[in-house]
Amino acid sequence: MKILLSGTASDSHTWNLVYLGLFLEERGHDVVALGPCVGPRLLTAACRRHAPDAVVLSSVNGHGYRDALAAVRALRAEPELAALPVAAGGKLGIAGRSGETEAARLRAAGCDAVLGDGAGDLEALGAFLAARAQVAA
Amino acid sequence: MTAAGAPRPFGAFVAASAAAGRLVVQPRMGFGDPGSMRTGLERTRAATATTVGTLTIDSYTRVGDLAGARAALAEGAGLNGYPIATHPLDVTRSLLDGLHDDHFPVQVRHGSARPQAIVRALLAAGLDATEGGPVSYCLPYGRTPLRESVAAWAEGCELLAAGARPGSVPHLESFGGCLLGQLCPPGLLVATSVLECLFFAQHGLRSVSLSYAQQTDPGQDEEAIRALRRLAGEFLPAGVDHHVVLYTYMGVYPRTERGAIRLLEASARLAVRAGVDRLLVKTTAESRRIPTVGENVRALETAAAAAALAGPPVPAAPDAGSAVYAEARALIEAVLGLHPDLARALPAAFERGLLDVPFCLHPDNAGRSRSVIGADGRLRWSDTGAMPIRPDAPADLAPLTANGLLAALNHMADRYDRPPADPVSAYRRPATARALPPTPHPRHEQEPAMDHAPQPAGPALPPPLGEHLRSPQLRAAMLVQQEALQAARDFLRGSGFTELLPPLVGPVTDPGGRGAKALDVDYYGRPYKLMTSAILYKQASLHGFPKLFYIAPNVRVEPEETATTGRHLVEFHQIDVEIAGASREDAQEVAAGLLTHVAEHVWTAVPDVLAELGRQESDFADVRSGKYDVCTHHEAVSRLLTAGHPQSPDSEIDWTGERLLSLESDRPFFINDYPKGSRGFYDREDPERPGVLRNFDLIAPHGYGELVSGSERESDYATIVTRMRESGENPAKYAWYLKEAHEGIPASAGFGMGLQRLVRFLTGLDSLWQVSAYPKLPGVMAP
Ligand code: B12
Repeated sequence: MKILLSGTASDSHTWNLVYLGLFLEERGHDVVALGPCVGPRLLTAACRRHAPDAVVLSSVNGHGYRDALAAVRALRAEPELAALPVAAGGKLGIAGRSGETEAARLRAAGCDAVLGDGAGDLEALGAFLAARAQVAA
Repeated sequence: MTAAGAPRPFGAFVAASAAAGRLVVQPRMGFGDPGSMRTGLERTRAATATTVGTLTIDSYTRVGDLAGARAALAEGAGLNGYPIATHPLDVTRSLLDGLHDDHFPVQVRHGSARPQAIVRALLAAGLDATEGGPVSYCLPYGRTPLRESVAAWAEGCELLAAGARPGSVPHLESFGGCLLGQLCPPGLLVATSVLECLFFAQHGLRSVSLSYAQQTDPGQDEEAIRALRRLAGEFLPAGVDHHVVLYTYMGVYPRTERGAIRLLEASARLAVRAGVDRLLVKTTAESRRIPTVGENVRALETAAAAAALAGPPVPAAPDAGSAVYAEARALIEAVLGLHPDLARALPAAFERGLLDVPFCLHPDNAGRSRSVIGADGRLRWSDTGAMPIRPDAPADLAPLTANGLLAALNHMADRYDRPPADPVSAYRRPATARALPPTPHPRHEQEPAMDHAPQPAGPALPPPLGEHLRSPQLRAAMLVQQEALQAARDFLRGSGFTELLPPLVGPVTDPGGRGAKALDVDYYGRPYKLMTSAILYKQASLHGFPKLFYIAPNVRVEPEETATTGRHLVEFHQIDVEIAGASREDAQEVAAGLLTHVAEHVWTAVPDVLAELGRQESDFADVRSGKYDVCTHHEAVSRLLTAGHPQSPDSEIDWTGERLLSLESDRPFFINDYPKGSRGFYDREDPERPGVLRNFDLIAPHGYGELVSGSERESDYATIVTRMRESGENPAKYAWYLKEAHEGIPASAGFGMGLQRLVRFLTGLDSLWQVSAYPKLPGVMAP
C-alpha cells in the first residue's frame, strides 16, 4: 500500500517520523514522507499529488488533537479525499494518556483511527492498515 | 518589575553565582495560562536552589501561527507553552511583575526559525534574555529553509542587541549543543554552539552562552564541555561575556521516577565536574507529558542538591586537546574557511555537507552522516559524509531497522530504568540493611550550599475549599488514602495488634518538638489541650493492650514558616503504634513491614489511580521488596556538613537537610540515635551512650522526607521525672501520667506514621494539602 506519512502543522518532532517510516516500510508499504510541520494545505495538496491508499499522521508535541482535527477536516472537505483512510497517533495531548473527548471529536470529524504512543498502538496501526489493504485488494 | 533601570544582566547573574560556587538551575517550563505561568515563576524563584526563570513558548507561536495560538486559547485548549506574542502585553507584564528582578532573571526559550515576533514581544515585556540560533532553531524545528532562518536570525539578533532597555546587556544562548537531542556525536554539537555564538557576536550581542546536551557517556561529555570552553575562549571576540550551559539529557527520557531522577542527578554532577555554570533540568514527567509546576520545582531542587553534594569541580588538566576538541575545531575552521561572515558561511557549509546532522530530515541538511553508540557507550561516527572529519566507528553494513533505531533512541532510558544491580535482602534488622553510600568528596566553600529562602505563600496554598473538594486530584488521593488505611489495618490486625480510638482532649499532651505548639481548649473552666499526639495514652494502655494502634487525629500549631514546606498541616493523622516489651529494632521492623504492605496493597488495589497521578510501579520497587537503608544521626550530620549544609550535630535534622538526604536516596532509610535535646522526654536514652536516644525516623526517598518517628520509650518513673525537668517540662502538669508510671508502665517501643505524608508519598503529589480533604496550613485561616 502507498502510505503518506506526515507530521502535523505545529509539530517539529522528527524522530517519530523517522521511526514510523522504517516501521511502515518493513511492513511492505511504500512510504511518502512529508516531514514535520505540515499544515492542512500542504497535506491536501500532497494527497492529491501522490494519491496514497492511506494517510498516517503523527504528532507528539501535545497539539496533536487540535492539529490533526484541522488536517482531517481539510481532507474531508475535498470530495476526492473524503474517503481516504486516515490514522492519527502519538502523544496527541499535553496531559499524557487521556483526552477521550478530543479523540471522539477527531473521530467524528472523519479520522478513522485515533491511536496513542504505546507498543499496542503500533500494533493497532498495523492491523488498521492491513484491514484497508484487504479492502483495497 | 523593578521601576527604574533594567534588572541585573542575565550573564552577570550567572557569573556571580558561579563565583559563589553555586550552579544555576533552570526549568524548561511553559504553560498557556498566565496564572499557571506566574505560579511556575514564583515557585521557581522560591525553590531551594539558585534559579533562573523560564518562559517556554508554545508550538503555534514557534512556527509563526499566531492566529492558531489565539484560536487555541479561545477554545480553552491546553498549549504546550506560553504564547508570548498572543497574550496582551499587560498580561505578560503583570505575569513578571515583582518576580523578574536583580535576584531572578527570566529567559524566553522558544524554537523558532523566524524569531522576530518573539524577540519584539519579549523586549516589550521588559525581558532581554533568550535562546536559539540560525541553525539550531531551524534544522530540528520544521521546514523553514536554512537561508531564511539565517536572515531572520540576523535580524532577530540585531533587534535584541538594540532593543533592550538602557543598562541592560541582552543575552542569547545557542541551542547548538542540542540539535535533535540525541545520537549526534559531540564534535558537531560543540562546533555548532561555537559557530552560533560567533554569529551572535557578529550581529551585535555582547553576552552569550554555549550549550551542550548530556549524551551517552560521562567521560565523553566532560571532554566535550572542556572543549567547548576552550574553543569559546579561542574563537569568541574579546569582551563578549560567555558561559557554558548544560542540558540534562535531551533524548528519549527514562520512564521510571528513579531512572528520571538518577539521570538528572548525573547531569548535575557532570555540570559540577566539568565546571558548567548553568543547568537546564528535566522532570520525572518528561517521557510522558508536559510537567506540572511541582514536578519542575522538584527537578530543580533535586539537581541543586545533587550538585551541592557532588564536591568541588575537578581542576581542568592542562588539556592537550581531546578527540572532541580536534573534531570540533576542524569543523569550525572548515566553516570559517568558506567565509568569515557566518551568515554566508553557515548555509554554504550545509549545502556542501561540511556540517551534516545525522538523522535530520530537514531538506537543507545533506543527510549523509550516520552515528552509532559504541560498545563503550560513546557516541561515534560510522559515516561522516562530506564533513572534514573521519569516522571513528566501522561503517554500518546492515540497513537501519525500526527496532534498531528504537534501541539506539532508548539507550539512555533503558539504562537508567533498569533496576540497580546490587540485590539487598528484604528488610529484617538494621544490621543486615545496607549502610548509606559513602560520603562524597568534601566541598570546600564558605557559604552553605543551600538557601533557606522561605517560600512565598500563595501558589503553595490550596484553592477555596469547595473547589478543592471537587477536584479530581483530591478524589484520586482519597481513593489511595482509603486503600492505605485498609492495608494498614489489615497488616496491624494480622500481626496481633488491637485498634483503639484515641482521646481528642486532655489536661496535657505530647510536648513535641520542632517548634510545634498545642492548641488550648476551655474544658469546663480548665485549660485542656487538643492532642498533638496520643503517646502518653499509648503507654498508659499497654497493660491492657500490649500491641495497640490508633488512627489518630492530631492538631499541632506549627510555625507559620512551615506553611509552604509542603510537609506540614495543622490537622493531620497518624497511624500510631505501640508494642509492649519491644526494642527499637522490633518497632522498625513493624514500621518497615507496614510501609511495604501498604505500598504493595495500593498497587494491587488502585494501580490505575496511581498511574493517572503519574506514579509508576517501579517507583516503589525498593519499598515493596522491603529494601531499606539505615544510618545514624551522627552519620547523617557529617554527610550534610561535608556537603556544605550547616547542620547542627546536637539537634534535629533541619528541613533542608532532611530534604537533601531524602533527595539523595532512592530507597527509604532509617536515621537512628538522635541526640537527647532534640526529642521528647519519653524517648529512651541509650544506657550505654548517655546523650543518645534509642529512637529513629524513617525517611522516604526522592525528597518526600520523614514518614515515621519512633523510639524505645522511657518507662522508669524516676527517669521520666528527671527527663521532664531536663527538657523544661513541669512534672506537676503530667500528674495522671506520672501516677500511671509510678504504678509501673511496661517498657515498650512504638512509632507514629504520618498518614498524609504516607499518602503524599504514594501519590507523588507535592504538598500535604493536596492529600487532605480539609487542609489547614500553618498560619493560614481555613474552614
Ligand atoms: C527529542 C525531543 C525533542 C527534540 C526533537 C528534535 C526532532 N526534530 O525530533 C527537540 C529538543 C527539538 C524537542 C522540541 C520540542 N519538544 Co520535545 N521531546 C523530545 C523527547 C525528549 C524525545 C522524543 C523522541 O525522540 N522520541 C523517540 C520517538 C521514536 O518516540 P515518539 O516520538 O514518542 O514516537 C513513538 C510513539 O509516540 C508512537 N507514535 C508516534 N506517532 C505515532 C503515530 C501513530 C499513528 C501511532 C500508532 C504511533 C505513533 O510511535 C513511536 C515509537 O514508539 C520527548 C520526551 C521523551 N519521550 O522522552 C519530548 C517531547 C515529545 N517534547 C515535547 C515538547 C512539548 C516539545 C516542544 C514544544 C518544547 C516544549 N514546550 O517543551 C518542542 C517542539 C516544538 C514544536 N514546534 O513542536 C513534549 C510533548 C508533551 C506532550 N505531548 O504532552 C515531550 C513529551 C517532552 C515533555 N514531557 O514535555 N523535543
